[in-house]
Amino acid sequence: MELRVIEKTDEELRLEIAGEDHTFMNVLKGVLLETENVLAATYDVNPEQSGGQTDPVLSIKTEGGADPLDVLEEAAGSLKTQTEAFRDAFNAAA
Amino acid sequence: MSYKCSRCKRDVELDEYGGVRCPYCGHRVLLKERARDIKEVDVR
Amino acid sequence: MTTEFDVEFIERTDRNARFLVRGLTPAFANGIRRAMVADVPTLSIDTVRFVENSSVMFDEMIALRLGLIPLTTPLDDFELGDTVTVALDVEGPATAYSGDIVTSEPGVEVADKNIPIIKLNSGQRLEFEADAVLDRGKDHAKHQGGVAVGYRHLQKVEVDGDLGEFDDEEPQILRGVIETEDGELIASSEFDHDLTKLYPGKELSVTDVPGAFVFHVETDGSFSVEELVDRAAETIGDRADELKNAVAV
Repeated sequence: MELRVIEKTDEELRLEIAGEDHTFMNVLKGVLLETENVLAATYDVNPEQSGGQTDPVLSIKTEGGADPLDVLEEAAGSLKTQTEAFRDAFNAAA
Repeated sequence: MSYKCSRCKRDVELDEYGGVRCPYCGHRVLLKERARDIKEVDVR
Repeated sequence: MTTEFDVEFIERTDRNARFLVRGLTPAFANGIRRAMVADVPTLSIDTVRFVENSSVMFDEMIALRLGLIPLTTPLDDFELGDTVTVALDVEGPATAYSGDIVTSEPGVEVADKNIPIIKLNSGQRLEFEADAVLDRGKDHAKHQGGVAVGYRHLQKVEVDGDLGEFDDEEPQILRGVIETEDGELIASSEFDHDLTKLYPGKELSVTDVPGAFVFHVETDGSFSVEELVDRAAETIGDRADELKNAVAV
């Protein structure tokens, strides 16, 4: 997983995440949208002018002065917690 | 053994000057046999 | 956000299961489904060295068939790209079956022994040595561990009242798993997929239960359903970890 920052301001971030697809990006986007101070979050695997499928480009817009990178880190942490919770619940039932 | 005569079924080695002809029965139709070496195939 | 997940099995065999998960977001449910299909690796024959093939089919055709034979995959013992050597030697008249394949690793064997590879006539022979490699469904469909993986919403059935005396009773066809008013889970196959057989003469309403997903998972025999689901969730967790570390730097 290689990250390339395309654009970064205090409240906005555009980031290319190499080697990922909908499987991870959609889950991540879902978690981001439930994270505090996130105004908007989306990803695009076929950006304009790209002329085809590319590595997904994640866009985050925050509010309340939150740094989008911090927010992303928090969302990734929360996703990890969720997958672990799911595994625990599943293995307990299995 | 690289060829087989289609009439007498005998193995035939072709040489440069003999032309395409079975040295045993004179038949001119020869069938190429599968090579004996191990063939590697990629499963794709 | 901390979520409480609740998992309940409805049907379960080694290769086939139906289970309910509560507390899931649609994105997470789909992520797990996709991970099961494309991201959990299995062993599959990838390179074949033909010593002899006097059968009626080309090497390439047989190689393709070999690739599609599921091999049991102990995931703890292998990493992506690891290989296992397998071999087969069958002389006609006979049919070469997947069960004739011998492997070099004790934990690795064909998941089904009764898959025909090719019928051999007398004098025909198939002998090869092959490398099975661990890879993901993303790279080639032969590496998919999960076949027929999907989910539906859990559906809640409520009885609104009795049907009018002279009303025609029409069949109410439904598929999946329903939750009754008593909280009982019933697979629709148990009532022939027709709700009126379960509730004759009743006025019913059916609604999707938010956040409750009934997964149906079938594996190709490479590993159990439990292993597949757990590994799928693990791959997503691993990527979240990786992202977290990459961002922190």
